[in-house]
Amino acid sequence: MNGCLGRLLTVDLGTGRIGEEAIAENDRRDFVGGASLAARLLYRRLTPTLDPLGPDNPLLFLTGPLTGTAGPAVGRFVVCAKSPATHLWAESNCGGFVGPEIRFTGYDGILFSGRASSPVYLWLNDGKAELRDASRLWGKDAYETQSLIKREAADSLARVACIGVAGERMIPFALILGDHGRVAGRTGMGAVMGSKNLKAVAVRGSSPVPIARAEFQAIRSRANVELRNDNVTKMARETGSAGAAEYFDLLGEMPVRYFSRSGFEGVGQVSGAAMAESILTGVSTCHACVIACGRKVTLGDGPEGKGPEYETIVGFGPNIEVDDLAAITHLGQLCDSLGLDVISMSNTIGLAYALYERGLLTNADTGGIALKWGDPKAAETLIDLTVKGEGIGEWLRRGARGLAKHFGAEEMAVQVNGLEVAYHDPRGATGMGLVYATSPRGACHNQSDYFIVEIGGAMEEIGVTMLDRASSEGKALSVSRHQWWRTLNNSLVMCVFANVPFAAARELVNAATGFDYSAEEFLRCGERGWALKRAMNNRMGLTAANDTLPKALLTPLSEGGAAGVIPDMPTMLREYYAAQGWDAATGRPTKDTLSRLALGEAARDLWGGTTP
Amino acid sequence: MAIPFPSEAWAKALKDVLNNDAEYAQIARNWEGDFVFAIEPDGSLARPVYMYLNLWHGQCLEAMELADPAEKKAAFTLAAPLSVMVRIVQGKLDAMQAMMTRQLKVSGSMVYMMKNVPTVLKFVKCTQKVESEFPVDSGQ
Repeated sequence: MNGCLGRLLTVDLGTGRIGEEAIAENDRRDFVGGASLAARLLYRRLTPTLDPLGPDNPLLFLTGPLTGTAGPAVGRFVVCAKSPATHLWAESNCGGFVGPEIRFTGYDGILFSGRASSPVYLWLNDGKAELRDASRLWGKDAYETQSLIKREAADSLARVACIGVAGERMIPFALILGDHGRVAGRTGMGAVMGSKNLKAVAVRGSSPVPIARAEFQAIRSRANVELRNDNVTKMARETGSAGAAEYFDLLGEMPVRYFSRSGFEGVGQVSGAAMAESILTGVSTCHACVIACGRKVTLGDGPEGKGPEYETIVGFGPNIEVDDLAAITHLGQLCDSLGLDVISMSNTIGLAYALYERGLLTNADTGGIALKWGDPKAAETLIDLTVKGEGIGEWLRRGARGLAKHFGAEEMAVQVNGLEVAYHDPRGATGMGLVYATSPRGACHNQSDYFIVEIGGAMEEIGVTMLDRASSEGKALSVSRHQWWRTLNNSLVMCVFANVPFAAARELVNAATGFDYSAEEFLRCGERGWALKRAMNNRMGLTAANDTLPKALLTPLSEGGAAGVIPDMPTMLREYYAAQGWDAATGRPTKDTLSRLALGEAARDLWGGTTP
Repeated sequence: MAIPFPSEAWAKALKDVLNNDAEYAQIARNWEGDFVFAIEPDGSLARPVYMYLNLWHGQCLEAMELADPAEKKAAFTLAAPLSVMVRIVQGKLDAMQAMMTRQLKVSGSMVYMMKNVPTVLKFVKCTQKVESEFPVDSGQ
């Protein structure tokens, strides 16, 4: 056993046929697991003409070699397909307990294909899998769906990942939700589930997770102790993911008023610290996690519910100038239960407010709703219209790019390649400019949370160094190496909130898999996964021209901690292509780079000819 | 004249800097909390040194060296080896970087700390204003 079960459950929703496939050991070694291994497995099937919402789009739930162990913050799984939001590579990982439970059933993942003729859900109970009718679940929200399935399975410990109404209606930024509000939020994987009439995946298992060496237990125990005592962990435990909101605001790294301003007067009322001192009533964790960044909050006399994360707080707070934490919490909970990605939804709503302010969107378009900065009620109405697809909702549901295009203001959409920008402004941390421009899934902050490096989270052991956060020159190699590191994280699948050093992660993986990666080999696995996703996107039409930032992020702010700064994209991109070994003219990994990374198939696809 | 770091004299010099810095007084006007700097043995420093500062509403009320950190129940403790602490005080190592890379251990309420980031950053800047004499083998 080498930390991998080596088995995928395959489910053809069109025929109802359920089977399994083996995962080759050399693929497991070269791609580690999670998103990189998923890219390897789906590479041939994601073609330029593939309709993301058609039955041929494969949908893969995959775990990593540490998932289900008690390693540090590794209880995650990833969902991959072609994205309906970007029409490019899609990956979105999720915490909670579903990932470990998949492995406890004896599989590393589940590959769905086809489309069911009517709503179904998968019930995978140890080794037995069946498709069950989900007609009565259709239309239910993401929390009620979980409860109903657990009741039907007569197993309160079953774990469920499901879609809400947004997924059923194939909104391109629909999410998948499991457990206590853990989400695979980005790139619209909920819409792909909806397109397949797949309401949920429910799992329950009891098999042990294979580990290559007994020493793993001591190594993971030590890693957990170190992680528990880590300063960043303490901050996340006490204040959640929004603990640094005040600091980000001070640095000009937290966007305000749809990326047009910096410095939010009400930040002290909406931050993680403010939550801890007001509505916080408990914390929640993912499987075997020592951080416990999840927030439980209570609004008034209502029931205890999920508290907002940083992205929710900024998206429905400073982004639309709302300083009411209760209102922000409510909007976040609403998006979760409907199954909408909070970043994309709040970004698109922020754009609607900005369009309204400029008179490009009027009361005639909104049905008489005034979109005024600071008003959370209007945002709630827009969420409702988005899900219903009524009125302005018809355009909101297309995301920021679609909304802006419809109103003739494409340059106002703060998005990259169809994915709305997350709430870490590259004017406050220029490395994020490269991250957003080159991420394989659009403007994503989890392919590299380089803003953390910019404020001190250097990793000298892999050449990730802290440089002046306002400068651009000389930063690309460090960004590249951080992307490779996070690609490894997304393969394990390890939470990016876990401040686990590279050496500790390698030691854990080696003990779990027995692959005995050297440090160089391990980092190269990250580089390989990164290059493969890039090559796959190139094959689907992405070029160097896609490596851009929206106008708003290239417009200097006049105030705050990032005043006057913009990322120098031409300089950074020139250095970046060299650091990655990509061709600057086409934006493709060069033939030499792909060959060096043993990606011969991709090299042939992109450059023709033969490769070793 | 340069003051040896770490020492009680240095802590008192920092107290003077803090109490004569108008910007610190303004930024830290709501701060209520005392600190212990635990400087761990490193190089020529054979025993730990504990420096205590009582910070209250933009002023430093008390500064001293402690024989035992248990003498004061401080709200916050910042602990690091001498070489790390020297680099922070010299401005060669960003305090946030030291914290995030586990070189500087922080104990105390992170809620309070994160609510008062500007105060913390200004405080660190003030330490750099003390004319300091560092041990020759402290990694300076």
